[in-house]
Amino acid sequence: MQSKMKESDPILEVKNLSASTDNLPILKGVSLTVYPGEIHAIMGRNGCGKSTFSKIIAGHPSYEITNGDIKFLGENINSLEPEERSQSGIFLGFQYPIEIPGVSNLEFLRVSTNARRKFLNKEELDTFDFEELVKEKLEIVKMDQAFLSRSVNQGFSGGEKKRNEILQMALLEPKIAILDETDSGLDIDALRIVASGIKRISNAQTGIILITHYQRLLDEIKPNYVHVMSDGQIIKTGESDLALELEKKGYEWTDSFIKET
Amino acid sequence: MEIIEKIKINKSIDNQTEIQKICLDKLQSSPLPNPRSEQWRLSNKSKLTNFLDYSVNENNSKFDIPYPKNSQSTIRLIIGENCQSKLIEKNYSIQQLSEDELKKYIKEQISFFNQNENWSDLLNLSLSCKNNILGFKINGSKIPPIEIFSHASSNSLSAKTLIIFLEKNCNVELLQVNLGEDNSSLSQSTFFCLEENSSLNHGVVSYGLNKSNLLNSLNVIQQKNSEYNLGSLHFKFNYARFEIRIKQSEGNAKTNIKGMQITKKDEQISTYTKIDFDGPNGFLDQINKSLADDKSHAIFEGSIIVPKIAQKTDASQLSRNLLLSNLAQIDTKPQLEIIADDVKCKHGATISQLNEEELFYMRTRGITLTEASKLQLSSYFQEIISFIPVSKDRWDLLDKLLNEN
Repeated sequence: MQSKMKESDPILEVKNLSASTDNLPILKGVSLTVYPGEIHAIMGRNGCGKSTFSKIIAGHPSYEITNGDIKFLGENINSLEPEERSQSGIFLGFQYPIEIPGVSNLEFLRVSTNARRKFLNKEELDTFDFEELVKEKLEIVKMDQAFLSRSVNQGFSGGEKKRNEILQMALLEPKIAILDETDSGLDIDALRIVASGIKRISNAQTGIILITHYQRLLDEIKPNYVHVMSDGQIIKTGESDLALELEKKGYEWTDSFIKET
Repeated sequence: MEIIEKIKINKSIDNQTEIQKICLDKLQSSPLPNPRSEQWRLSNKSKLTNFLDYSVNENNSKFDIPYPKNSQSTIRLIIGENCQSKLIEKNYSIQQLSEDELKKYIKEQISFFNQNENWSDLLNLSLSCKNNILGFKINGSKIPPIEIFSHASSNSLSAKTLIIFLEKNCNVELLQVNLGEDNSSLSQSTFFCLEENSSLNHGVVSYGLNKSNLLNSLNVIQQKNSEYNLGSLHFKFNYARFEIRIKQSEGNAKTNIKGMQITKKDEQISTYTKIDFDGPNGFLDQINKSLADDKSHAIFEGSIIVPKIAQKTDASQLSRNLLLSNLAQIDTKPQLEIIADDVKCKHGATISQLNEEELFYMRTRGITLTEASKLQLSSYFQEIISFIPVSKDRWDLLDKLLNEN
């Protein structure tokens, strides 16, 4: 499916990636290439390795890469720290955004934005300039300024946490965003706000990987490719209609692909 | 008997005050605390011996105050330097206690002393010369903030004593700073008496340098309807003990304590608290935090005594601890002794490490591991630091802890 001739170099190139935690293999040879402007969706049953895949791309220290490569903008990033990956333009939107009591959301956002700006050789922003920037970005996810003065994600509803993730994505302007079940726990209105935010932030130079269980997010953001993951492997790749077929037939339908592979 | 000999060598019997003689007599029978007693069993014996290694120094040398004085209105006192103070203004008065008043009060306190529990006070009072005892009575309103410094010079053992009576209806904000230079030992004993309807916001910041030691004892008596708030911070000591004894003598009083100790290298810092409710309707809210890194050892032992007379007591004691190294050690023992049957008392302890998932979350936002750890620690520290009555723009304690410690 990805054998089409591409005009530009890939943003992310994952080749035959295997990884484990505590000697337990989780990923068993995943390959995935994302070109600028592309939106990929990864679907699959709970526990199939989708979230692990996203964490490994982001550099989670609990996982060990046992085989394969992750290339980002042509460079192998297997050994980069999570912060180096983030600074260079990889963004992971968490399925369950972490609460950090006592750390102000505004200061957290400012420190992380400045880390990315520093990497891009842009001037770091002081508190006043940052407040101007963040006000502009808040509008994208329709968040109230009051969220800035609270501790990171503490006391936020599920929807507010997800919107805070998209706000961070808007501020960090990543080259590639991996959004892990960003649609879970969202009502219809919140889903539309989040989906519209993602669409506004993404452009022809960025790539997006959506990890999801449901078609409803893909109704809002139409993917170029849909991958089905099972037992740590991508067992089928198709275009957006594959997600519709999955919605109709369920994951049992994909079990036959496992037998084929 | 070494310590007794040391005191005697330093001061002939003729030069000893009556208080010193009384305390020395008491120390003769047990020159060192019983290492098997609950209060001392975890205390590092060689470090305690090291505390007593330095020669006693009654003189006071100049030292650098760690932050600038705020304004003319702040009252700044250095124990041993300016004991002759009397300040009478329109709304308030701060008057030095007379020698007789001091003697009477200290003798009364000594009569209640328990050899092990008050060993630090006995040592302090046997060493503390007249110049190094600062005693005040304070009354009135609109009292300016007070700052009191104690200091131990290098290669010496210094003893400083502070006694303050807060008379009825007065509210005071007091910051006590204990500083130890390289290779020094500081013995600091503090006695507060809060009369009816008085309140004291008390901050204690104690820190040393290489191989400095501290025995810091705090004794508070609260009369009814008084409020005592304590925010404390102890760090950078080879060996330090902070002993807090609070008695709500008639109940109906409020006590809030937020304390923290930070240990690194092979340091040992401990906090012992004993809160006595001697009447009904007492209130206590206490949290003690320890952070231990490297091969250090942090100790917390807290006891809350609720006798039958102390009905309707509402007391909470929490010990929260962060262990940052596999070789560090934390001992914590919050405990309740309750006889009264109509009370609300709770206690608890947690020991944890920095939260890995929080760290990963921050790192995926470009924040380095070091900065992410600092952010986590700052939120851990902030709860305690915000309770210490000194503003950030004058003395940024959080910055000091994160960047110098």
